[in-house]
Amino acid sequence: MTLFTHGLRRALMTQQPLDVNMATAEPVVEEAEDYSFLPIIHDIIKCMDRDSPDVHQELNKLKTKIQEAREQISGLPGVDMSLALQESKLRMLREQVQTKNQLLQKYKSLCMFDIPKPS
Amino acid sequence: MNTTDDILWRAMVYCGPSANRRHCRTLSSARYCSRTRTRLRGETVMAAAAEKPTKDKLLSTLDDIEVLSRELIEMLALSRTQKLPQPGEDTDILELLVQRDREFQELMQTALEQGRVQQEMQALEKEVEKRDSDIQQLQKQLKEAEHILATAVYQAKEKLKSIEKARKGSISSEEIIKYAHRISASNAVCAPLNWVPGDPRRPYPTDLEMRSGILGNMSNMPTNGVNGHLPGDALAAGRLPGRFTLLCPPSALFFSSRLSLSYKYCGLCVAVYFSVELQYVSLMFIFANVFLLSLLDILTPQYPWQSADVSMGILPPHHGNDFGLEPPGHNKENEDDVEAMSTDSSSSSSDSD
Repeated sequence: MTLFTHGLRRALMTQQPLDVNMATAEPVVEEAEDYSFLPIIHDIIKCMDRDSPDVHQELNKLKTKIQEAREQISGLPGVDMSLALQESKLRMLREQVQTKNQLLQKYKSLCMFDIPKPS
Repeated sequence: MNTTDDILWRAMVYCGPSANRRHCRTLSSARYCSRTRTRLRGETVMAAAAEKPTKDKLLSTLDDIEVLSRELIEMLALSRTQKLPQPGEDTDILELLVQRDREFQELMQTALEQGRVQQEMQALEKEVEKRDSDIQQLQKQLKEAEHILATAVYQAKEKLKSIEKARKGSISSEEIIKYAHRISASNAVCAPLNWVPGDPRRPYPTDLEMRSGILGNMSNMPTNGVNGHLPGDALAAGRLPGRFTLLCPPSALFFSSRLSLSYKYCGLCVAVYFSVELQYVSLMFIFANVFLLSLLDILTPQYPWQSADVSMGILPPHHGNDFGLEPPGHNKENEDDVEAMSTDSSSSSSDSD
């Protein structure tokens, strides 16, 4: 059991920071903990090691967090497509807007009539 | 988690250092472990082949985390009392769990980024809709302008056609003024200033005036005619006029009545000319009638019966008195009068010879 806790702690500490520009370690851990389940699993294992009655509580927390994550994922906008597809759609929309702007500008400033030169 | 998994999960947790734990592990772990390992290996291969939506990836990763965490906790619970048959298996599960957790975090960051991109896309879509409505508005305006211009061009072309047509059939303004003068000189347009109700003068030649003209006096014409003009009938017959028969030829009467009508038509044509702009038709009609009028004016210097009437009283210069006028329906009586007048005129003409 101790090996697992050590391993899990090491895994938590050695997790690559999501943003390499962040200098301090604490924000990295905090940011990782937002969507990470390892801290809760670590707490569960610790409780199991100690035979603490809080094991059930921790298990419920894990279960709740997983359920909340599922609900949050279902409500996220724009995740119905892959990133590449979304980027291509974004590019297409930008081109559409640009083209329509150019067309409008062209037709608004277009002189439809050729003024004949006096002979 | 479904109900069965929940029960098994709690069973694994509640199992204390007892032999029952092995039983629980037999029931659940083996099945879950084998299935999970197979699925994880398969997904790794397939994920590279097809670009799955981020949502599916997130849910899949979350399921894996759930399964792996469950398996890990189960193994830990069983390892408290007995040795693990495969000691390396727990390490593998731990590594897989850590890997999946990392992937889940990355996918969540990607999902948040996609959310921001989605907002930008929605803003762009609104702008595209706005531009579309602007283009439609511009299209409507251009269509309206095209319609107006087409109408204007068509009307201008019609005007040009009518101008060209008028140029082809142009009439000198001097001629029109001359004819208008002749028409107005005969009091056909406006009554004389001293005209009063009861005045026998009319804007058209009356019967008396017609009869006093060359057609009415065809039987009284001298041998050489008046002013060198011979009656058309005698000339057509090849005979010199000489003395005319007492009776005027019926054709002359008919022609004289027709001339009277023609003068009436002349007045009507003038009215039509000024009221309705039927220039060409009216002018031709006017021209024909004025020609006849002028012919009568030239050839009718004096009314023959006026010389007899002068002794009775002062008479108007051109028209006879009231008793000389006949209603248009009494043609027989007119014929008798004409016969009498013809007799008188023939006697006067013979006297003049």
